[in-house]
Amino acid sequence: MIKIENLHKRFGDLVVLDDVSFEVPEGQTFVILGRSGTGKSVLLKCIVRLLEPDSGKIFINGKNILELSHKELNELRKEIGFLFQSAALYDSMSVRENLAFPLIRHTDLSEEEIELRVKEMLRLVGLENAIDKMPSELSGGMRKRIGLARALILNPKIMLYDEPTTGLDPVTSKEIAKLILDMQRKFKMTNIVVTHDMVVALSTADKILLLDKGKLIFEGTPDELVNSEIEIAKEFLSNKLD
Amino acid sequence: MNFTERLNQFFTTVGGLTAFTIRFFVEVFRPPYEIGEIRKHMDELGVKTFSIVSITGFIIGLVLGMQTQPVLARFGAEMFLPGTIALSVIRELGPVLTALIFAGRVGSGIGAELGSMRVTEQIDAMEVSAVDPFRYLVVTRVIATTLMLPLLTIYVDFIALIGGYIAVIITQNLTFAYYIHLVLEAITFSDVIPGVAKTFVFGFIVGIVGSYLGFNATKGTEGVGKASTTAVVISSLLILLFDMILVRLTLIIFP
Repeated sequence: MIKIENLHKRFGDLVVLDDVSFEVPEGQTFVILGRSGTGKSVLLKCIVRLLEPDSGKIFINGKNILELSHKELNELRKEIGFLFQSAALYDSMSVRENLAFPLIRHTDLSEEEIELRVKEMLRLVGLENAIDKMPSELSGGMRKRIGLARALILNPKIMLYDEPTTGLDPVTSKEIAKLILDMQRKFKMTNIVVTHDMVVALSTADKILLLDKGKLIFEGTPDELVNSEIEIAKEFLSNKLD
Repeated sequence: MNFTERLNQFFTTVGGLTAFTIRFFVEVFRPPYEIGEIRKHMDELGVKTFSIVSITGFIIGLVLGMQTQPVLARFGAEMFLPGTIALSVIRELGPVLTALIFAGRVGSGIGAELGSMRVTEQIDAMEVSAVDPFRYLVVTRVIATTLMLPLLTIYVDFIALIGGYIAVIITQNLTFAYYIHLVLEAITFSDVIPGVAKTFVFGFIVGIVGSYLGFNATKGTEGVGKASTTAVVISSLLILLFDMILVRLTLIIFP
């Protein structure tokens, strides 16, 4: 479903991704774990071509996205949901308008159908009452939930999460992790979750990839990570790292 | 920042702004045309600037009348006061001052708004959801500023003429109808058309500069503030520069 081959990316002299390769089978959840600044978010942004890698290949459904035209890329992007670290809600729009925006742009649904779909998604993330609120009136956790509802509204086949629990308290973080799992069970998407939160990683992952200084240093199941002798993995598990 | 770095930054900005402008002209003719968004921005721009340009227009006319009256009186030419006010306002003061206020109010707003959208990943979110942010956010705003400034300028010209009338009646016994008659007698199409036409260029400058700086903002909230203030500085300078060029062109076309 998603295949990354020999991906390289640098900013000036700083190597951010160094020969990264992995493959995510359809319907699985892969968690990319790593310290802050190790290139996790850059990797995610390369997958949707918000950033262009210096070299390497990224295949989604067998197509190398780096070779797609702008139009083809946009068609593919409609099948990908992306939850941003800051949730990235459009702050000039209400929650209703935020969720309706992709539907208005990309579907032929009537106003009534859009309203029903928006309410359905809000019910799934438990925020039906927030429909008329503006993003500035929402807490961090609520913003993440609304961001998730917006990302899922076009029924994407692939879902990418960029630090879904950053800035949230431990209880809300667990709720978001549970929500990711619930959505996975309901929609059977292929997920990549970028995080440095072990709770999210262990509770949602089919496989965990450990990224350090731009290199993949571990790929395995949560159990294999727990039993591994890799120093950074141990530090993560003992919560020594941020 | 040393001289070389400043020079480098200057040419980077000029190059970036030129490429951004070329991209605008490529995208503006491609559908979808986002008419609803353009209308929404025009509404917002009108509401945002209406009161400030009204006050400014009135004061321009009033002060110009009060300053010019004694000078004309020295030569016994007070009867030319309405015409002098009208020509000064319509040819130069109305367009340029409205554009400068527009740059301060609207250019900074666009810079801050798009800058904030950039640093909070809203522009990225739009791109990932397969909506072209350049067309949706930039093209619509630039069209709105380009179309709105001429309308505001015509309104300001009119308000300034009312201010001018107040200045005239302080010293002369003149009816409003006769004042307007003297104004219309003094001005011709070659005064009105270039005066309004150049505001399309000024409106475009305000929109494209604000959008360019906001769209390319970096470094968090500091970058947003910088985009906002730099938008005012650059667009004001460009307005004055292009005014100079367009006045020269006008004098060639309408000698």
